[in-house]
This record gives sequence, C-alpha cells and structure tokens, in this order.
Amino acid sequence: MKSGSAFDKPRFLRVFTGLVYVFLFVPILVVIVFSFNSQKSLQVMDGISLRWYEDFFNDSTLRESLFISIEIALITMVVATVVGTALAIGLVRSRSRMAKGSNLLMLVPLVTPEIVAGISALLIFSQLGIGLSFWTIVLAHITFSISYVTIVVRGRLATIGIEIEDAARDLGASRLESVRLVLVPALWPAVVAAGLLVFALSFDDFVLSFFTTGEQSQPLPVRIWSMIRFGVSPTINAIGTLMMVVSISAVALAVMIPRFFGRRESGVKVLTGAEG
Amino acid sequence: MSDLRLNRRQLLAAGAGLALTAYGASGCTVERPLDTSAAGDIVEPKIDGDLLIFNWAQYMDPAIKKEFGEKYGVEVNEVNFDNLEAMMVKLRSGGEYDLIFPSSEYVGRLRKEQLIRPFDRSQVKNAATVSPYFDGPWYDPNSEFSLPYTYYTTGIAWRTDKVDTMTESWNDMSNPEAFGKIFMLDDFQEGIGQANLLNGFYLNTAKPEELEVSKETLLEQKKGLRGFSTLTAQNLVSGSAWIQQAWNGDVVNARNQVSDPSIFRYQTCKEGVPVGTDAMSIPVTAKSPGTALLFIDWVLSPKNAYRNVMWNGYPQPVAGGREAFAKLVKDDPSIDVNLNELKGSSNEFRLDTPEARREWNRIWTEVKA
Amino acid sequence: MNAHRFWNWFLAPGTLWILVLFAAPLLLIFALSFGHVDDFGRGVYGFKLGNYDDVFNSTYLPVLLRSVGYALATMLICLAIGYPVAYYIARFGGRWRYVLLAALVIPFFVNYLVRTYAWVALLADEGLVNNAIVDLGLSDAPVQMINTPWAVIGGLVYGYIIFMILPLYGSIERMDQSVVEAGKDLYGSPLQTFIHVTIPATQAGILAGCVLVFLPSVGDFVSAQLLGGPDTYMVGNLIQDQFFAASNWPFGAALTMIMMLFLSVWMVLYLRRAAKGEAEVL
Repeated sequence: MKSGSAFDKPRFLRVFTGLVYVFLFVPILVVIVFSFNSQKSLQVMDGISLRWYEDFFNDSTLRESLFISIEIALITMVVATVVGTALAIGLVRSRSRMAKGSNLLMLVPLVTPEIVAGISALLIFSQLGIGLSFWTIVLAHITFSISYVTIVVRGRLATIGIEIEDAARDLGASRLESVRLVLVPALWPAVVAAGLLVFALSFDDFVLSFFTTGEQSQPLPVRIWSMIRFGVSPTINAIGTLMMVVSISAVALAVMIPRFFGRRESGVKVLTGAEG
Repeated sequence: MSDLRLNRRQLLAAGAGLALTAYGASGCTVERPLDTSAAGDIVEPKIDGDLLIFNWAQYMDPAIKKEFGEKYGVEVNEVNFDNLEAMMVKLRSGGEYDLIFPSSEYVGRLRKEQLIRPFDRSQVKNAATVSPYFDGPWYDPNSEFSLPYTYYTTGIAWRTDKVDTMTESWNDMSNPEAFGKIFMLDDFQEGIGQANLLNGFYLNTAKPEELEVSKETLLEQKKGLRGFSTLTAQNLVSGSAWIQQAWNGDVVNARNQVSDPSIFRYQTCKEGVPVGTDAMSIPVTAKSPGTALLFIDWVLSPKNAYRNVMWNGYPQPVAGGREAFAKLVKDDPSIDVNLNELKGSSNEFRLDTPEARREWNRIWTEVKA
Repeated sequence: MNAHRFWNWFLAPGTLWILVLFAAPLLLIFALSFGHVDDFGRGVYGFKLGNYDDVFNSTYLPVLLRSVGYALATMLICLAIGYPVAYYIARFGGRWRYVLLAALVIPFFVNYLVRTYAWVALLADEGLVNNAIVDLGLSDAPVQMINTPWAVIGGLVYGYIIFMILPLYGSIERMDQSVVEAGKDLYGSPLQTFIHVTIPATQAGILAGCVLVFLPSVGDFVSAQLLGGPDTYMVGNLIQDQFFAASNWPFGAALTMIMMLFLSVWMVLYLRRAAKGEAEVL
C-alpha cells in the first residue's frame, strides 16, 4: 500500500487508535483501582484493601439491588429475545402491509432519546393505574430491548436463504415445523448473542429504570444515581467494578457461545451485524 | 408512490389518534387517586411484616437496619430518592413504603393530602428524650404524624487554604476571591431562600415583586458560580469548590475524609440561617405500619442515635444523638445547631400555597436555564 | 393457513408490544402537554396552549439550542475520532479485528454513571490529572476541566462513541476494496480518493453513526448533571426536573414534544433509509 494520506498510513492510524483506547480505558482503570483503596479518598490511593467490597456485601439493600438488577436483566433477556426473534422472522419472511409498518415501528425506539421512553412508560403506567414496581421496570426494559434483538437476529436471517425452509416443507414439514426445526437452529447463535447483549443493556440501564422504579425494587444504577447526588463513597467504585464483571461475563458469553455451535464466525461479528 | 400514499394515511391516522387522546383524557389527572382510607387509623407498634424504608441515599447506618432485622426477625429493605418531589411522585403513584423521611414542610403537605398515618407518641418509648422543640411543631400541631430524624442548618462552607475573606454573610456566595469556584446547592428552596435573606425578605416570601428581586440576585450570583450541586463533601475535598453553600452535616462529612480537617470551615450567615428538620412518617399505603413504628423507636434509642450521627454527620435531637454531634463538631462550633435558633420556625422552609410553590419552581428553573 | 396470516402471527406480539407500551404513551405525552397542574402538583389533562408558549420564551429556547449544539459537537467529535478507529480496525485489524472490537465494547458496559463519575475524580481541580500537571510543572495552578461545557461534551462523547464506531466499522468492512483501487487510478492522490470514493462508499455507516450519537445526546441529562457547570443546563435536565423536582409534568411533556419535533427530521431521515435497508442500524 502506498503511503500519502493519513488514511493509508497504518502507523498514524495505529497510534491514533491506541490513544482512543487509552481514552476509553483510563476511567475504567480509575474505577477498578480506587475500588481497592484503603482510604475514603477518590483522589489519593493510600493502600490496598477490600473494605469497599465488604461495605457492599454488608449492606443488605445494595446486595438486594444487585440481585434485582440481575433478575430484571434475566427476565428482559428471555422475553425480549423471544418476541424480538419472532418479529425478526416475521419481518424478513412476510410481505404483508403489516410487515412494512412493523419494520418502521420497530426502528423508532432505537432513535428515541431514552428520557422520552422513560416518560412514556411512567405516563402509561400512571394512566392505567399500575403501581410502579419491579414489573413496570421489566416491561419498560423489554419494550426497549425488542428492537435490538430484532436487528441482530434480522442481520443473521438475511444471510439464510428461504431455500432450506422450502426444502423442509417439500419433505412434508408444516410451516411451523420448518421454522422450529430449520430456521431456529440456524438462528440460534444470533439469538443467544442478542439475548446476552440485551442482558448487558438492561443490567446497565439507568434512565428507564429511573422513571419506572417503584417500591421494593431499586436496580443498582438508580441507587448509584441517588448516591452520586449526595456524598459519594468509594463503594460506588466497588459497585461499578462488580457490575462490570457481571456485564463482561454476559458479553463474553455472547462472543463465545456461537463458537460452541461450531460456527466459524465470531460472536462479535454476529453482534455487530457484520454479514459473513 | 404507493409508499407515499401509505405514509400519508398513517400520518392522518396518527393525527386523529393524537386529537382523540387529547380530547378523551381532558380533565383526568395523570395518576389514579390513591386509596387513603387508612389515613385516620392510628398505627399500633407491633410487628406486622417486613419493613421497607424510603430515604435519602446514605442517610442511615446500615448496621441499624441490620440489627433491627435480626432482633425482630423481619427483613429491612431500603430504597432511595434524590429529591423530595420525586418522593411525592412515587408515593402518589401508589408506592407501598412503610417509612419515609420527609422534611418538616413535606410532613405538612403529606398530612393535608392524607398520605401519612397518625400514631401515638407515648407508645414510642425513646421519643421521651426528643427535644421539646419538636412537641407540636407547626407542621404537625398535635405531634401525631411525625418524629424528628435529623435537624440541620444551611450555611456556607469554605476552604481556609484558598479563601480568607469570609464575612459571615450570604454575600460570600459571590465572594470575588473565589469567583468561578463557588457552588450553590442544587435545591430550589435553598437557592432562592438565601437570595431572599440577602435581600432582607422573609425566607419564604411569596410576593412576586420580592421574588423578582431575588431572581436578579441569583442571576448575578450565577456569574461567579462553578455549578449547582448537592455534592458538598466531594466538591470541597476534590478542590473544585472553594466556597460551597452547604448543609452543616455535609461539612462534617468533608472533614471526616481528610487528614487535615482544619482546611474546611463552615459559617452561618447574619442575614438569617435556614434551619430544617427531616422527620420520620408512616405513609397510608404502608403494608407494615406497626413494624415501621417500632423501627422509629429503634432509631431514636440513644445507642442507635449515637452511632447514626457518627455515621452520617447530621445531628439527631435525642439522647445519644446530641452527645455524638457535640463530639463531632468540637473543633468548629459553628457547625453545631442551637435548637433555640429553631424557635419560632420563621427560618424553616415552607411554601404554603400551590401558587407560591409554582412561582418558586418557575424562578428556579429560569435561573438554572 | 395462508402465508400472510402465518407470518403475521410472528409480527403480532412484538408489534403490539411496541405499539401499546411505546407508541401509545407518546400520544399520552402529547395529550398531557396541553394539560395543567392541580393544587397538589399533579398533572391534569386539558386543552391549554400555555405550556408551548413557555417553551418558546426567551429563557428556555437557549436551553434547547444549547442541547442541540452540544449534541452536534458530540456527533462531529465522535465522527472525527470514530472514523479513523473504525477504519483502522476494519482495514488493518487483521486477525485482531474481533479482539479490538470486543475491547471497544468493554468500557461501554461499565455503568454509564460510574464511568462518568470517574471523570470527576480524574479531572477535578485536585484530581489525578491536575495533580500530575502541577507536579510536572506544566502549570502553576490547576486547570479547570470539569464544570465546563467541554466537560459535558466530553462526557457525551465518552458515553456514546460506541454508537458511532460500530456502524462505521460495519460499512467500512463491507466496502469493496477494488473500488478504492480504481479510485486511486482515477483521482491519483489518496486524499482525493478518500474524499471521492471512501466517504461516499461508507455514507450509510456515517449516517447511522451520526444519528445514533446525535439523538441520545440531545436528551441526555447525566453528563450535564455530573460534569456540567452553571451554564450547561440541557433540555434533558430541564425535562427531568419538571417531572421529579418542579412537579410540572405538563410543561415537561410540552418540552418533550418540542424536543421530539427538533429531532424528527433526523429520525425520519434515518428511519426511511434504515427501513429500506440502506443505513447501518447498529
């Protein structure tokens, strides 16, 4: 490759990309390192200890929040994955007018600022007289997650021709059987990847939860918000680190699982919608 | 072209839908009315279920909750709000909290809206040591809806290593020595309140012309501000704030975080000292009101009051709490609260009419915008 | 069962879900924006245009414009930073490509609040960066970095840059390399080739990235709350305060509608192309 423009110079690009990665990772490192600080300071590292993790695990309400966040993310993951995958299949296979409308509708949540989604959810629940609770958070999260699943799964679907289903039907399978026996197994890696992506998004979500949280259940990010508004303690760094471990585990699974299905493409590729 | 026609039809349908919704909903309130039938029933102190507390974040030592749970065999859970209006929003939307921590003004509002339940103070053993100031306060004339949790003053904290021209006046909120390094509390009443005091008005004035003057004061002060923030301790410790409007308890917290606490000082101002109380009350929607009342008693016990004050830095007006706070502030007596100053309540925040509240909110929003 | 009906059963749950819990409530926001507040501070539906008058008074309009300005700056910075990174990974990442992509995603999954707050600890006047600056003698006094407009924009860039890089990566990776080679023969200089060939070939990714960064940035209230100063109040903060501090839901609803109106041009532009499959989606 001839050099000339910066865009053909890997060396410049490599340095630049490296700097961007530094920018992305420095705050993360600060969070992790200071979660082990033995002092209360968020500026000065004074020795290593686990006291902020002890604080976290000794505080039953924080522990409770962690579990609630995980539960919400799990339920969201399961429901959104099922509904979103069905939607993706319908969108790609159907030629009906409804499909056109759904296609457009499905994209709207992706381009709507989260605060609007939060207000929407708050209003509809208040209007219907549904008290804010664990389940209102779950409903709101699912609404937002369906579109993500649909998009990831649809990317995969586009690469699968209708021929195998036709073949299955020629062999006597009903439409439903051909979906169940042929299409779903072929989509499985993308479905799993999308599900775990949704898990991570839901687990991390603050804005939607903030508007829809009620009694009994306050997901971790909402609690972090009320902590950040008044006296911050380094416990927040311990929480951040723990949440990162949970999220990264989910993402790592998303990346790894497609490999277990003997596919050559990586999960990242499936997740980013890159077509093979 | 068929695509376009479809779009137009969809648009029309959407427009019709919008108009219909607006028409159909007209006159309805957003929230469904709550069932307030329990509002008159007096709460009996007895264990009647697990406890759910609704409080500011980091405002109570977790050990107090934990040990209560162990002693009575119940689960004690806590959720947080970051603002009293947000607490009202969640309460009105049917949140079934057992114990809440409203400020004195909000006790009054909640009582009027029939959102909290009465109880008999004489059944709360440790209430006996509560300072007499809290007998029949203006927001709870018969002492039946609340017991005090903490009390506090609002003043100005500053860094002695950065600023040395403080004047014990709210004028220091625009001290030129700290221009651009001053934080105002992100709280509409604290913000407007100090401007009112500075202008010589009643703290809670509802007179439009006075509020206009105070708004100008705030806009003038804003030029020298670095931000609106309730993160007092963090702002002071990280060096971002040289001067910070502050609640006295947060100054204690800041001092506890550094090796040399003498760099943080606190002053109350000669034009007037806003004083406040956060109380404990039991909402009508509580599922375990009896447990909540027992918990109130538990919080007020001398041992728990002592360690809670040591933990959150705010004084509690009961035996144990008073001693703990005196110990915390012995190096800087200005942080202490003299309950005699609270007498008369003219410097407690209270907006008595909805119009006043709307007007204050409007001014504050305009100042921040 | 005919094919139409069969596949519609797949569409129905998701479509209904989004209609009931997402589209219908948008109508409620619209309806509430004509409402007023009762004496207890509760929102009441009605027919009042006053809320819209208020939105356009001289105090609040700057907030809207400021938010759009910050979001545009965020978008441009994300594009300027994100394009080279996506380009490098897609073209020169080789076998490390997926590792690099995964590494990009990791910070994104640390809670946004915690991440943003970490910047406060880093950039405060006596924070790690400023201490280093003073210790190294680069400056006598700490440099004020947080509580400024640039800190807010920086926080937004940090929060949303992933939405720029991923679509860009997708379209750069898919770009036909032979077109670039042909462009080199045609235009000669690599810069010309880049402008005339590469950029048009990846415009789907550019569009998607810009929209996916711009839209959430406008409505963000976290960055301005944690990193902002006295003059960085954004429309997201304003709306959030109307709902949870000032107890004026109808005004908050009117602000939301106006914000959506500001954004709708972008949304429609994006939706039309995405629905036709011409824009990268994520």
